[in-house]
Amino acid sequence: MLFFTCCRPVDEEDFEWEPPTEAEMKVIQARRERQDKISKLMGDYLLKGYKMLGDCCEACGTILLQDRQQKNYCVSCQELDSDIDKDNPALNPQAALSQVRERQLAAQVPAAAPELNGGPTSSQAGVSVPQPRPEHCEGAAAGGRALLPPPVVASPPPTASTTTLAPIRPPVCPQNSTLRPVLEEAEEAVLTKLRWATAQLQSSASLEASIQLCSLISSCANSLRNLKELSQ
Amino acid sequence: MVPLEQLHLSHVLQAVSALESIVLRSFGPEGGQVLFTRDTGQVMVSRSGKRILTALHLDHPLARMVVRCVWKHSTITGDGSKTFVLLLASLLRIIHATATKDPHMFQPHNSTEASEAATARHLADRLLEFALTELDELIVLNVLPHGFRVSLENFTAETHDLSCQTLLVSFFRTRLGYAYCDFFRNLFCELLSHWKVKDDRPSFSIQFLNNSFLALHTQVSGVPVSCSRLIEGQVIHRDFATPCPQVRKQPLKAVVFNGYLQPKLLTTGDVLELRCGDKVTEDRGIVHFSSWTEKSVESIIATLQSFGVSVLLCALKQSSAVLAAATQAGMCLVECVSEEEISLFTQLSGVTPISDCRRIHPEHIATLTFCKPLLLGAHRYVHLDFHDCEERLKVKPCSLVICAPSEGQADQHACAFQDAFRMLLTALEPVRKTQTALEETIPSKKCTSLHADNISNGTACRVHLHQKCVTETGCVISAGGTFEFLLHHALHQYGHSCSVSVNTSAVVPVSQLLAKALLSVPRQIYSRNLKHFLQAQTRVVALIPKQPHALSANFIHTEGPLGDGKLSLCSCKNGNMSLKLLDLGLESVSCKYQLVLAVLQCLTNLLRINMVLQTHAVLHTESHDSLNAHSESSEGEDED
Repeated sequence: MLFFTCCRPVDEEDFEWEPPTEAEMKVIQARRERQDKISKLMGDYLLKGYKMLGDCCEACGTILLQDRQQKNYCVSCQELDSDIDKDNPALNPQAALSQVRERQLAAQVPAAAPELNGGPTSSQAGVSVPQPRPEHCEGAAAGGRALLPPPVVASPPPTASTTTLAPIRPPVCPQNSTLRPVLEEAEEAVLTKLRWATAQLQSSASLEASIQLCSLISSCANSLRNLKELSQ
Repeated sequence: MVPLEQLHLSHVLQAVSALESIVLRSFGPEGGQVLFTRDTGQVMVSRSGKRILTALHLDHPLARMVVRCVWKHSTITGDGSKTFVLLLASLLRIIHATATKDPHMFQPHNSTEASEAATARHLADRLLEFALTELDELIVLNVLPHGFRVSLENFTAETHDLSCQTLLVSFFRTRLGYAYCDFFRNLFCELLSHWKVKDDRPSFSIQFLNNSFLALHTQVSGVPVSCSRLIEGQVIHRDFATPCPQVRKQPLKAVVFNGYLQPKLLTTGDVLELRCGDKVTEDRGIVHFSSWTEKSVESIIATLQSFGVSVLLCALKQSSAVLAAATQAGMCLVECVSEEEISLFTQLSGVTPISDCRRIHPEHIATLTFCKPLLLGAHRYVHLDFHDCEERLKVKPCSLVICAPSEGQADQHACAFQDAFRMLLTALEPVRKTQTALEETIPSKKCTSLHADNISNGTACRVHLHQKCVTETGCVISAGGTFEFLLHHALHQYGHSCSVSVNTSAVVPVSQLLAKALLSVPRQIYSRNLKHFLQAQTRVVALIPKQPHALSANFIHTEGPLGDGKLSLCSCKNGNMSLKLLDLGLESVSCKYQLVLAVLQCLTNLLRINMVLQTHAVLHTESHDSLNAHSESSEGEDED
């Protein structure tokens, strides 16, 4: 019996292999999960009495099933892809990227939040949690977004690419005397954060992080503007 | 419809994954059961992998191929169909991952898929070659020392051989559930002890029972399971065609007919020319011819009466003239007896069937102790027993009556019984295929006393040797993934030592692939609780000694011979194991080895397929009984 080993010599190509990035891992993982889901669904239908045909679906390449009424059925096209294909990281790389971004943000927010909340009370704090909106995923991004109620008082119009969740504006107008020190503290906290974000932006190498830091800076600027308006 | 279809690795994986997802639901001690319903309203519940897979509607050629492999494997070993599919799927997944990671291992192909397929095929070939050459030695050195040897030499119902009893109980538990496993174990042991030929190999009687099981058991539905029992003699699954006279005290004489007593010379389309001397007259017609044939029947009956025959067993349906003549002569006649029952009858009674009715000799006449009707459930059968069978053949023939509330359940119990025979036969096979020189040169005096129609004398001689050779038959190990953990560890070590010595880091060691795939089995067994998986793995790995050489030295230089021919393998932790085997049960090492080989062969066949040709003619029947009826379906035309 023939037994031959690898013919390809070991060259520099082997040393250039890098571990897959997080986004790629996410895609691989999601693809595997999708295949598992397809297998499980097919198994369910087979046990219900469907017939496994020898043909494959033209669109996705999954094996077709046929029910008792001779109707063909593709598990992935008709069940899995109907509502989530745009959100599915396995199919849409953009969705995968944005899912990675959300996870990163979710990890960053608990670090950022205590500092922002360390200042004055939350009712008047100029806190705006930076949440850059992913370009395509509305539904999938909803889970990662921290839930803050929309502003009661009209806030400055949001920029085209980001939605800033403006701070809660209580309808009661407080007295000027008690307001000033609170506002000053708030301004200070926001400026600190602004300075920190700028420093981070200068040293940041990742595109995602830079985008997030820019949005943080812009929301800090917005909060400062709002605070200045309040104090006037 | 595209007539030609290129087969990709992902297609194969998808088909097998679908089957795996079905089988996983019933796998393991906590697996569920599948409820089968028919359009007629019949309902059956089963956990048997073979039954579930053969009941699916599958038109996909690869899936059908896999199910056929599973069925064939199950017919030989009696068990392991779910594990088969599980192992196959995990091996395919690992090969798929390896091939997609590094598809350009060999000559560059036109497309990625073609190169992936070529890599996968090559990996599968290497795996099979590895399994055929190295695997048995690895098992013998690393797995067997942790097991026990099941001995069937002194097999009785009261035997205190714990391992054999536990092996059977765990087998019946996986098939029939906790409720009846002990009951059936006892019934099985009783059956085996009745049929065991004295001073002979136990596997001979097991083989005989496996071959004639169809004739040896009767299924009765509508009766509780605990009514299952053994009855002496043989049960013919037909009723008397003529009224049976009162039971006579003296031994009865019986004959077996293979053909028709009244010659059937006239069938549709035949032309019969009647002659009287040289002239064809019109006076003698068909009436005279019929009366002539009737007279010949009467003469046959008269001959039989002169011999004192009172029971006639016929393989074919007899004419009404024959029935009338037999009734008149006071003989019992049973017609349409099946081939297996006739074969069993002739083996047990020692007579030959009559093929030519005009020549009836004493060697055609069997002696029976009794022959009477028997009512089992809703049917009436013929029950007979043989005279002096015990002295002649040294067995006490008995028949098994399997009772169950429904037909499907009775069928399940009968299948479990038959699969138990097959499992025991496989368990008694040796793991190591290669013979040591020692075994072949030492003759054994016991070989000459064996029966002529025994299993091959070579095997018998091999087992009777109790000198310094390693006989690895009948080895069992505790269930629950022990075999897989031990083999995984051994393959891992082997892979490391290979890569160190050969220093080909670019070559994927196939032993590592197999090791990874093997772990999927215990992972699924403990899928409900990962902690148990880790505990089991820790427990098994703790059994492995740090110095492998110490163990093998212990193993090979065993002192012998022992008095009664039993060679017991040394087991390091005898005390601990005896506690464990009571909870987990036992499984046969040889069965597991056969399973791994069968899976690798199926894998190689699957990956060798390049293209699927779609034909328009219907080449196979739709009914699932085609598989059960041992008919070869012509699905080969679907594959290239």
